[in-house]
Amino acid sequence: MKNPAKVNEAIRHLKPQAAPFEEEMSLNFGPQHPSTHGVLNFLVVTDGEVMHQALPNIGYLHRGIEKLAEMTPYSGFMPYTDRVDYLAAMFANQVFAMAVESLAEIEVPKRAEYLRVIVCELNRIASHFIATGALALDLGAVTPFVQWLREREFINDIMEALCGARLTYNYMRIGGVSVDMPGDLPDKILRFLDHFEPIIDEYNRLISNNEIFVKRLADVAVISPIDAVNFGLVGPNLRASGIGIDLRKTLGYSVYPDFDFEVPLGKGFRGALGDAYDRYMVRILEMTQSCRIIRQALEKIPGGEYRANVKKKLKVEENEVYSRVESARGEMGVYLISDGTDRPYRLKIKTGSFTAMSIVEKASQGLMVADLIALIGSLDVVAPEVDR
Amino acid sequence: MVSAMETAVNPSVRSAVRKYFKNIYQLFYSILEGMAVTFSYLFRRPITIQYPYKLDKPMDEIIPDRFRGILGVDLRYCIACRLCQTTCPIACIAIDLERNPETKERFITRFDIDISKCMFCGLCVEVCSTGTLHHSKIFDGTSRHVENLVLEFVNTPVRPFIKPKSIEDIPVDRSGAITRNKLKDFFDLPKFRLTDEA
Ligand code: SF4
Ligand code: SF4
Repeated sequence: MKNPAKVNEAIRHLKPQAAPFEEEMSLNFGPQHPSTHGVLNFLVVTDGEVMHQALPNIGYLHRGIEKLAEMTPYSGFMPYTDRVDYLAAMFANQVFAMAVESLAEIEVPKRAEYLRVIVCELNRIASHFIATGALALDLGAVTPFVQWLREREFINDIMEALCGARLTYNYMRIGGVSVDMPGDLPDKILRFLDHFEPIIDEYNRLISNNEIFVKRLADVAVISPIDAVNFGLVGPNLRASGIGIDLRKTLGYSVYPDFDFEVPLGKGFRGALGDAYDRYMVRILEMTQSCRIIRQALEKIPGGEYRANVKKKLKVEENEVYSRVESARGEMGVYLISDGTDRPYRLKIKTGSFTAMSIVEKASQGLMVADLIALIGSLDVVAPEVDR
Repeated sequence: MVSAMETAVNPSVRSAVRKYFKNIYQLFYSILEGMAVTFSYLFRRPITIQYPYKLDKPMDEIIPDRFRGILGVDLRYCIACRLCQTTCPIACIAIDLERNPETKERFITRFDIDISKCMFCGLCVEVCSTGTLHHSKIFDGTSRHVENLVLEFVNTPVRPFIKPKSIEDIPVDRSGAITRNKLKDFFDLPKFRLTDEA
């Protein structure tokens, strides 16, 4: 696709009704551009400052994780799932564990489920830190990003005390979690929450209400509810367009029905419904809800086992399953086919960033080149999750 | 703009002008508000630590006990079950056992861990029943040669440990001294050496 003539042809094919542009220029944006959040490449077709189209070109971070699963025993694949989405590794851990558990009919102890919820919600907050902070950073505001990184350090410390790693947790196991939490951890988490909840307000004063920031995001890259559904957007991106689908509520997996929390929806906070600012704001509001869930979970957590008895060499009957969780980037699913051996026959991972990439082509039409950053940043695309 | 405000009769013009000035006011107000937040940080305690120059506690105390650092093996207590070797998803651990043909005794002749491949997942540590294999708290270091990253824990062949039933806690040395010893090449590299005199 590096040949401009070919590009023009490709675009005419995509947009038959569009008039051919005389002064069109196609530019490579990325793959090493710092604001593409990893290695992503966009072919930007512009006429001056106005983009006619941005065609995402993915595959730079393909590591063949799905293929690796076919060569690894079930229990040994857990560390690989950390690498699917390095900002929110717990969700990939959980969805894979859930898939194998439902195939092998393993009952997970209640305490393990609560522990999973706690770490997942902490991880959601940590992931939204990067999503919202990096968006501000890409638009030129460095302070908020650094401030969120500082807050994220506390979560990393909590995770490190819990499971020994700061990012690639490998915390969950088939049938539970690897270790129980140390005795002083609930206190630590509560102390963090007490410290963190006022910080959200401070952050809003720092950047969310900043007029320049709002003007850069409001009414930019509006995704209508119909488009959001048609392009298969998931998670915060979908909810920002006003569609209230959150698997924690609608599916009620794990122990989420035990908790009382709301699902924030976009409602055109400072502009049109489904604009970049809505997507940003939904994430900020979700952090508060995650705090609520963690508080309730710490209160209600039962005692007992944290890991079911699972054979070391787990063999799973021939069967297939699709399990899904609500990750920080929306629905994350694992489709798993077993064939009676100790390793999967086929494993497919469905992620939110991948579907988010599909709408870039449509949403970028008529945007300014500089607003492409706002679009990608607000979609919260993480490159390794796109390619797997 | 001011004159436009005076002469304008059209209310829509007036509201547009009002909006224009309101925008400017909001802009400055929100910027000042953000600045106030930033300014307040001048008076708060910084949370950064100046690693490795100024630490209020030794690094081993800062790092939590569960930290998954570079692996260490206290060979005195290895029962040579090889579970760690089979568990590792990427085969970083290589264990060789040899049997003395006369006395029929078994010896561990090789226990290598390739930490250049290791992803510190901790699966091998979890299956080790004696705690022989453990994570140290070491996380930093450089090496100029990738071969140095294969840690060879066996110097002279050792007999596997026979686990007595009575012992509950096996006194495995988890201080990291074993690993640090093996990592000599890592840390003894002369600092600021520009050319490699190998
Ligand atoms: S920590 Fe993981 S990758 Fe490293 S040796 Fe152990 S099992 Fe293998
Ligand atoms: S280190 Fe542990 S798991 Fe590995 S062979 Fe020795 S006793 Fe077995």
